[in-house]
This record gives sequence, C-alpha cells and structure tokens, in this order.
Amino acid sequence: MKKTALIVLMLVLASLVLLPFLWTTATSFKPLTEVNKHPPEWFSPNMSFEPYRDMFFYLPFSDYTANSLVVAGAATVLTLVMGSLAGFAFARFTFPGKRLVLLVLLLSQMLPGASVIIPLFQLVTAAGLYDTLVGLILVHTAIMLPFVIWLLYGFFSGIPREVEDAALIDGCSRVSALWRVILPLALPGLGATALFAFLGSWNEFFFSLLLTTSDTARTIPVGIGLFVGEYQDVWNQMSAAAVLFSIPPLLLFLLVRKTFVKGLAAGALQ
Amino acid sequence: MKRSTPYLLLAPALLFTGFILLFPLVQNLLNSLMHMTLGRGGTSWSGLENYSRVLSDGLFWLAFRNTVAYAVAGTVAALLLGLGFAVVLNARIGKFTDIMAFFYSIPWVVSPVVAGFAWKWLLNDSFGIFNEWLTSWGIVREDVNWLGDPRTALLCVAVARIWQFYPFAMVMFLAGLQCIPQEQYEAAEVDGATALRKFFHITIPNLRYVTAVLLLLGVIWSFNDFNMVFVMTRGGPINSSMVLPVLVREYSFVYFDVGKGSALSILVFAMLFLLSFLYLRVLTRSDAA
Amino acid sequence: MRLKYAAMLLIAMCFLSCSRTSDVVEVQFWNFGGMPKFLDWIRKQVQVYNNTHPKVRVVLGEKSWHQIREILYAGFSAGAGPDIMTLHADHAAEFGAGGYFYPLNNFPDFEQVKQRFEPNIMESTRYNGNYYGLPSSAIVFILVCNKQLFDAEGIAPPRTWSQFREAAKRLTKDLDGDGAVDQYGLVLLGGDKGGFSYRLAPLMMRAGVKIMSNDVTKFEFNSPRGVATVKLLADMHQIDHSVTPGFLAYTLSEINDLFCSNKVAMSIEGPWFQQLVEDKNPGKEFYTVPVPVPDDLVDQYKTLPSLQDMVMYPISAHSKHLTETWEFLKYIRSAEADMLYIDHKTGGLPTTIQVLNSPENAKRKAWDVYDNEIRHSTPWPAHPHIIPIVKNILAPYGQKAIIGEMTPQDAMDAAVNEAYALLEEGR
Repeated sequence: MKKTALIVLMLVLASLVLLPFLWTTATSFKPLTEVNKHPPEWFSPNMSFEPYRDMFFYLPFSDYTANSLVVAGAATVLTLVMGSLAGFAFARFTFPGKRLVLLVLLLSQMLPGASVIIPLFQLVTAAGLYDTLVGLILVHTAIMLPFVIWLLYGFFSGIPREVEDAALIDGCSRVSALWRVILPLALPGLGATALFAFLGSWNEFFFSLLLTTSDTARTIPVGIGLFVGEYQDVWNQMSAAAVLFSIPPLLLFLLVRKTFVKGLAAGALQ
Repeated sequence: MKRSTPYLLLAPALLFTGFILLFPLVQNLLNSLMHMTLGRGGTSWSGLENYSRVLSDGLFWLAFRNTVAYAVAGTVAALLLGLGFAVVLNARIGKFTDIMAFFYSIPWVVSPVVAGFAWKWLLNDSFGIFNEWLTSWGIVREDVNWLGDPRTALLCVAVARIWQFYPFAMVMFLAGLQCIPQEQYEAAEVDGATALRKFFHITIPNLRYVTAVLLLLGVIWSFNDFNMVFVMTRGGPINSSMVLPVLVREYSFVYFDVGKGSALSILVFAMLFLLSFLYLRVLTRSDAA
Repeated sequence: MRLKYAAMLLIAMCFLSCSRTSDVVEVQFWNFGGMPKFLDWIRKQVQVYNNTHPKVRVVLGEKSWHQIREILYAGFSAGAGPDIMTLHADHAAEFGAGGYFYPLNNFPDFEQVKQRFEPNIMESTRYNGNYYGLPSSAIVFILVCNKQLFDAEGIAPPRTWSQFREAAKRLTKDLDGDGAVDQYGLVLLGGDKGGFSYRLAPLMMRAGVKIMSNDVTKFEFNSPRGVATVKLLADMHQIDHSVTPGFLAYTLSEINDLFCSNKVAMSIEGPWFQQLVEDKNPGKEFYTVPVPVPDDLVDQYKTLPSLQDMVMYPISAHSKHLTETWEFLKYIRSAEADMLYIDHKTGGLPTTIQVLNSPENAKRKAWDVYDNEIRHSTPWPAHPHIIPIVKNILAPYGQKAIIGEMTPQDAMDAAVNEAYALLEEGR
C-alpha cells in the first residue's frame, strides 16, 4: 500500500515537473493560428508535424545541428583532457601556490557574461577566429574548464592512492599510471563530467550569438533566437526546434545516467 | 617524482583559462577606470568616478537586493526541493525509480532560454494554463497578472529558476544519501528512533558537506544568471525584476556606457570573490579530512 | 607521435579558418530581422546582385533583431563590423556622432540618389548636417480598432480624446456575468520598454507635444500637454479600468493574440499589424484611423504629426569597400526595389516618391490614412542619447504614472530631470 502511494506521488510529481516541457511540445505541433488561444487547450484541431518540417525551410537547422554537435563534442573532449590533467595534479600533489591556483580558476568564472564578451570578442577576432567553429570550441572550453577541473579534482581524490602505488611499484611512471589505472577507475566520474561539459556548450547562447555570423558556424541556440523577431514570434517552429534540440543532451544523459550517481557518490563528495 | 610535474600537468588548463578569461578581467578593470562611451566624448581617465556613479544609482541597489533575494531564496528553495525528490527517489523501487529520476532531471537538461519562454507562456495572464486552472477551479476570480505585476514578476522568474536548478541538487543529494553508512541507521533503530528522528539526526548531518557546496555553487551561478530573467521579463515590469547581470547589459549595451558597465562588473566580481573564498575553504577543509 | 599529429591537426584547423585572399571584394551585409516576405526578397536580391557583379560578393548575415546593440557594438569595437546593415533611423544620431556611420552625402552622386526618396522620410536619416542612411521602409503609428467589437457596440472609431476614452470604457465588459472583465477597451505594449515609448509618443506628439526642442537641447515632454497625455492613460487605467491590467508584460505577440480573440478593442500599432492579424486569424477585420487628438485640437486632426519609425541602410565608416558598398546600396534602394513594400506582408511602407504615389500602392488597405500620416509624421529627435532616454527614462516613468505609483506631473518632471542628468554624465 505504501509502495502504491509512493508510485502515485512520483507520477504526480513527474507530470508537474514536466509541465513546461509538455506545453512546449504541444505548441510545437500547432499551426500559428492555434497557438495561444483563449481558453488555452492542450490539443488543437489542426495539429501536425508541419512546424517540424517548416523550421528547416525557415533556417538551415541541419547546418546548425552539425555545428552544435561538432562544437559541443570537441569542447567536451578538450575540456576533459585538460581538466583531467589539472584535476589529477590537484588531487595527487601538494605544491606551493596550490591554493592560489585554485582561487584563480574559480575567480575566472565570476565575471558577468556581458562584461566578458567584448574583450573576448576582440581576442577571438584578433586571432582570426571570428565566425569559426574553432573559435567557439576554444571559448566554450575556457568557460567550462574551471568547474570541470573542480569536479575531476573531487573524482580523483576519491580514488585510493594504493591503486596507483601498486602500479608504480610495477614500474609505471606517474603519468602512465594516470592513463592506465586511474582513468578507467574514474570512468563514472568522467561520464558525469562529460555530461556537464556537453550541456554547458550545447546550451550556450550569448557567446555563440556574438562570435558567429554565417550559417557555417552558427549553433542551434542562436538559430532558435532568430525565431523571436521584431514583429513576429514564430512560436510553433521555435517550440519544434526546442524539442528537437533537447534530444541529444537527453540521450547523453540516458547513457551516463547509471554511472552518474555512482560516480558522484564515489568521488565528488569525499 | 619531479617537483615540476604538477605544474606541467596544470600548464595547459592554466594557460587556457588565464589567457581567455583573465584578459577580460584585466580589460574590465582598466575600462572601469575610464570614461568610455560609444563615441561620445572619446576615452579618458576618470579614476573611481564610474564606481561612485554606480553606487549612487538607485537602480543598482534595487538590482542588488533583487539579485541577493533571487540567488539566496532561489537556491535554498531548489535545495529543499532537490532534497525532497532525492529522499523520494531513494526509496528504490527498481527500474521505476530510474525512469522517474530521468523525468525529474529533464528541467536541468533543457536550455535556459527555452525554459524561460515555456514558463512565460504558462504564466501568461490570458492564455496561460496556470490562470486557466486557477479560475476554472474557483481559486481566484480574475486572471492573475503574474509577469505584469511588479510585485510578483521576480518571484515567477525565481520559480522558473528553481525548476531548472533543483535536478542538480537532487542528483547530488541522491549521491550523498547513498554514501551514508547503513550502520548509523541500524544503530538508531536499535535505540528505538522514529523515522523523523533518523532523518534529522542522521541524514541531515551527513549531508552537511553536500549542502554547503550546493548552496555556494547555486548562489554563485544564480548571481550571474542572465538568461532566465532577460527572457521572461527583461528586468521589468518597471525594473521590478532587474538583477545585476541584466543591469550590466543595460549599462554596456543600452547606454553604451562601457566604463560604467565595467565598474559594475568589477563590483559583482568582488561580491562573488568573497563568496568563492568561503567556497575554497570548504573544499580544502574536506581535502585535509 | 600522437602529439605530432595533434599539432598538425591544430595547425590545419587554424589554416582552414583563415580568410581566403582573392581579388573579389567582399561586402558584409548584416540584416537584423524582418518579416518572412522581406527576408525571402533580400536573400534573392543578394543572390542576383552577386551573379550580375562578378567582382563583388555580398555576404548576407542574418542577425537577431533583439540583440542589435550587442552585436553591432561587438562588431565595431573589434573592427569586424559589417559594411552595410539594416537599422532603425533613430540610431543615426548615436552612431553618427560616434563616427561609426559614413556620411552618405560624401558620395558624389548622393544628391541625385536623394531625390528618389520622400523628403519627410529622407530627413529622418539626418544628423548634424549629414545623411547617415538611405531609407528602406517606413512606419507610422496609427490606431487599430477591432471592427467586430466596435460594430457590435454601434460606435465609430474615435477621433478625439473624449471619444477615445468613451469608446474604451464602453468596450470594457464582463461578457459572461461571472464578475470578471473579459474584454478591455485598450491594450498598451508594456513588456518592452522601447515598444512602450513607441505607443506613448504618438499620443503625445498628436497632442502637439515635442519630445525635445527643435535645437535638441531641451526636453519638453513634461509640458502641460505631455503630462495631460500621461494623465489620460492613467485615468483610463486607474479610474475607468479600460486598459488591460497585464499590459506591463505584453509584447506584440500577446497583443496580437488578445486582439484576434476579441479580448481587446483598440491598440496603437503600425502597418505590420495587418500581416500579424492575418497570420493569427485570417479574415479578422479592423479599422485603421489616425491616433486620437485632444478635443480642442480637432481642427488639426489631419496635420498633427504621429510618430515615424524608419528602417534605413547605413554604411559603416570603417568599411574598406565604400564604393562597392554604395553601389550595392543604390541597387537595393532603387524605385523598382521599393515596389516590394507595396505588399503589406513586408510590414513597412515604401519610401521612394515614385512608389508612394503609384496607383498600385494606393490599393493598400487604409492607404488614405497612411498617406496623410506619413507626410506629416516626425521621428524621434535626432539626439545621440535619444534611445536610452526614451527606453530607460521616458518609458518607465510613463508606466509608473499610468499604474499610479507617481502622479503624471511628478513622473514627467522626474523623467526630464533624469534625462538632463544623463546628458551631464555623457559630457
């Protein structure tokens, strides 16, 4: 009896929590004449897949999707690589300036976006990377690196030293021990971190907006922003884009879901 | 082991972060000491004048109060919600819990811009589903003016923010709950403790560290959260939901007064510096433990 | 070994992202939004131009209208801005003063080209003796009245303030007797500060109020007439309750929804409204009339100016290809090109003399109203600070007065003081 009550409670909670997302999905199937009617209705008479089809004609979303995947993927990989090295350094070594470096990493996250954008923009343009995917990848990596380092610092701290001591006794170098022994053990944590990094880049809007101008470099959030115009807001196509746009991170989340909680439990909370 | 090994390992990340994120910091610091507006009067040294102009702007103090309320209350509420969900999910019912955990996490995965628009539609006073429910069930007589009333606008944005943030807290708490040694609960049961007592005397104390980290992270992130407020209210109505990140944008891109915008950025930075100082203490204290 | 490959990959990527060198001139054209019909047209125009001009390549960048200022500022400050763009004419003073726009009157054939355009509109691109853009499409603010609701009530669209107030009152009703009002007389766009000022200003200007003095040194919207305008709206909201209570959250999208579902009877809008209503509720009809005037000024009904808003094409002062850009600009602003704006689906009115006076254009719905309004309309004063003043000072204070937080007199006086303070700061 208690179990059924709990199940019912969980289902009710789920429907409440998903309400905004469900409403967006409902809107994505409606024609423009049936969006936002009074009284509001979940299902309108002429629902169809047209908005999903039309959005690709309105803007080149296939290009945007490819760009988003490339940028988010590359940024995730880059962040994980550099973050692992740094996180390992923090977890296994004590050295002068450790506290200072940690502070610096955290400080770099603290500036409001609107004030970082202009200097960053000048930097990226001066490097000839304006309106390129490489430029976006580098900027996204820089934004997410501090938090990723902190996460991986926690994960690596959670792995007992005995494990790599055993490897060292067998004749491995410190770095080789990292590669062969520690990383496989930290895999759940890496999965969780990869999700954070991917999400951070995938959903990033502001920097992507200013640092790109052509369709060959534009990402999906910027494309979605174009649906909101001076006079017209194409709500149905925008909702369709939003729904489609949520699918890759949800898929990724499904993948790492099992290891996610385990990874966090094993590492970050030590 | 070479003394230089840690520095070598840190080098790529540090160079990266330093170059790309510290340069804007320095640039902002410099700009904040200059009179710098788009073409109007060129660029000239103005010392601390920008800072005094920001601090004497009534709008700054309004935004400051709003941001603190938004960040603190929003984060605390998100944490409570996350804890509640985590406790519910911890009563494992096999695969079902897994699926539910997935659904409960969706708000966090959805882009903040999309979330902002979705909440805006739900809260629309004439066409939104919330008012439809409230009026048809007789809870209110007239449509509630959620986003158009200066008294409720910020609250609504905070609710949307909580909706987006709680899954993060939920997952962290879930992990934390699973770390609590069973022996503690068993010992308490032997002593005849009720479920409530167990919760307050075992569960909560064990989650101290997680809570501290979540609180600090949540407040810092909310402090700089631009997207949610901007999409839902743009800081309105009549500046009632103005927060510091949106104000930076107002100074820099509406007034085109970059000097003032930079000064405000440095002030926000200083506020968060204090917070992150605490953050570090928590982190390195646990390191020594 | 792996390191070597990684380095090669990185170098290759940087190489690929470097700009190609060739002798084709690239003209960067940033378009900040527009209705779908206009977007289609501009894409085609660029294509045709590129095909017929082999030495020039116009690159069209479609940008988000809501982030114009961020995008342009970032572009200009890093030297990566466009050569030519679409922009509202109220930016002419600001960007002209900042040295970011090129004075078109420097081109040798400018006088000739200038003759194409309706003088009243052409003057709106002028600041400090220079012309900073060629007009694209023009907008003038009028009053739209929900035909179904007006006819059912048996009243005609209002011409004077008392008729306006009376109409709003009569059209505010509780239709189903549940004690809650379902239909309101007037809706104001309050969710966007800029947009709100574009609704307040036409009413003020049609009451003879000047936002700034002719020499753009003094603010005059706290004149007795200016305060009276704000008071009119404040009374309608607080006493008559004929203004939609949620107006502070409404953007154009909400207004369109309300109008099309008969929840609102009047709104101050522009030529774009026709297309908006057609998209939402095909067949819905409305009256288009000039913005109402104070009772004692009714003899000037046809000559008092309404607010003019105009989209223009400025050229960047930092452009490296001024001649090629100017050629392209003349091409897309020929009289033939202007024929596009005969179609109301583009959202704006034509701006060339030839098209404005053409018989095809006269077929536009409510053309007699637009024709008169456009000849008498005036834009915002040409002052470099006008945009923040209007958005961040006039609009919030106007809103405060309307909802009753301040009296109209106090609000307008405070607004004028703050406006002067802003000018002081900028010095």
